[in-house]
Amino acid sequence: MSAGPAMRRSAAARTLHMVALTGLAIVVAFPVYWMIVLAMTPLGFSRQITSILPSDLTFDNFASLVVERPMLRWLWNSTLVATLSSGISMLIGLSCGYALSRLRFRGSYVVLVLVLASQMVPSTSILVPLYTLFMDLGLLNTIHGVVIGHISLVLPLAIWMSKGFFDSLPEELEGAARLDGCSRLGALWFVAIPLVSPGLAAIFVYGFVTSWNDFLFPRHFVQSENLWTAAAGLTSFRGEYFTLFEPQMAASIVFAFPVVVLFFFLQRRMVSGSLTGGVK
Amino acid sequence: MMTPPLMLLALVVGLPVLEAVMLSFDRVVLTRPKLAGDFTFHNYARLVGDADAWMAVLRSCLYMCGTVFGSIVLGLSAALLTRRIVRFRGLWRSIFILPWTMPAIVAAMVWGVMYDANFGILNQLLRMLPFVDGNVEWLLDKSIILPALIVVQVWNEFPVAYIFFLAALHSIPDELYEAASVDGASPFQQFLFVTLPQIRFVLSVIVVLLLIFGFRAFPVIFLLTGGRTETLTVATFNAAFRSYDFSYAATLGVLAICVSMVLVLIYLQLTLRNGKAEAAS
Repeated sequence: MSAGPAMRRSAAARTLHMVALTGLAIVVAFPVYWMIVLAMTPLGFSRQITSILPSDLTFDNFASLVVERPMLRWLWNSTLVATLSSGISMLIGLSCGYALSRLRFRGSYVVLVLVLASQMVPSTSILVPLYTLFMDLGLLNTIHGVVIGHISLVLPLAIWMSKGFFDSLPEELEGAARLDGCSRLGALWFVAIPLVSPGLAAIFVYGFVTSWNDFLFPRHFVQSENLWTAAAGLTSFRGEYFTLFEPQMAASIVFAFPVVVLFFFLQRRMVSGSLTGGVK
Repeated sequence: MMTPPLMLLALVVGLPVLEAVMLSFDRVVLTRPKLAGDFTFHNYARLVGDADAWMAVLRSCLYMCGTVFGSIVLGLSAALLTRRIVRFRGLWRSIFILPWTMPAIVAAMVWGVMYDANFGILNQLLRMLPFVDGNVEWLLDKSIILPALIVVQVWNEFPVAYIFFLAALHSIPDELYEAASVDGASPFQQFLFVTLPQIRFVLSVIVVLLLIFGFRAFPVIFLLTGGRTETLTVATFNAAFRSYDFSYAATLGVLAICVSMVLVLIYLQLTLRNGKAEAAS
């Protein structure tokens, strides 16, 4: 008898739950949906919207990126810059992270705090001094200037993450290797690094995505459009194609696609990494 | 063996900060090269009396508070709604994580298109409603622009809160809810007296983390307003690349570095205490 009203209420509650969940999901997913729709519809679709469903589909917007803008060139530059800056950061980060994890020296905690702090500093604060430094060093308007800039963005996180990985690795493992006659470097290379290699992949992806997403450094260190990365190129669209939404959205998709794929591919590790490093 | 990597670290991370401090005590103005070279407190004296700069700081604070509040409400709602979902669990979660995978530039581009006053979907939808003015200048109207920017930032970063909350909710033992419902607690009371106390630590960590994100925010604000709405980060940029006063920009940058240092110390204190409390229990 008493179960009746309770059951009814729970059915109503369940419906309400599903309605709320679906509604929230639609609102959250809509901008992504709209980006895809606009990118795939002919120019001018967005001027007079009669339906939120696409009328006819086209790939012209994607083609125009390649024909009218050096999008392929920019994507290649992005790949180059992101791979280099992330790879180099990973190597340096690995050795720093190992040092901070295994050696207790005076001030190691302070170093750690500074590393995390430099990760959290707004990149506009770094842009200005780097600009004057690069001006003196003749690194403006070069690709390797951008790579060095991005290393300073990525390295703190690489250190922070690899310290975490080495911390979770028992020191006895290397101790055993050293008893067997391995040098300290040998123990690092043959024992520790293979064990943290899944973590290395996460560090690399993180660095890659950070560098890929940044437009501030490539846009302002580099004048010639040919040396821009895709992020820098993409931000220039907003000014020039102001009301041409469709190519803007096509460019956004091309730019976001590799990042989204990487993200979902490595979802678990990325998520736990973002919790420790606290950075995108 | 450990010295070279640490020295490299000091070079890559420390040098820009050192250069920023040195610039802030100099007068490097690209349009007036003769001013440079002397040690001076000019920029700090100017900062103290610069009403625009303090407005930018205030705007940064509003932006931070708005994004933190919005992200927590949205993240917690999404987490509460998906916590006990069984069917299509992966799909629902992917939908709520999707915005976080979008680069901030892309978030700005998409919302810029949706916000467009003439042809944006938001105004076109508003025009379909009766008695509603469908000509909202989302990115020009001074009273709407900041909330409009906050919405974009919240959309982009609330999944961080969502992920944290989901993990925290899953670690609450079911017995607590059973005991509460036996005692006759309504769902709202259960949330208030069981859920909330249990996720308190995670909540505080997220608040500080999102404060840091909000403070650092640049691409969304800069790309959507072209730098017209000045938060501290945008003001730093404008001082350097609009006024070409690199020293004053560096001064604003140093101020931003100090603020983020404070936030990071709070964050570390919190996570450290959190870790200890978890170890003790």
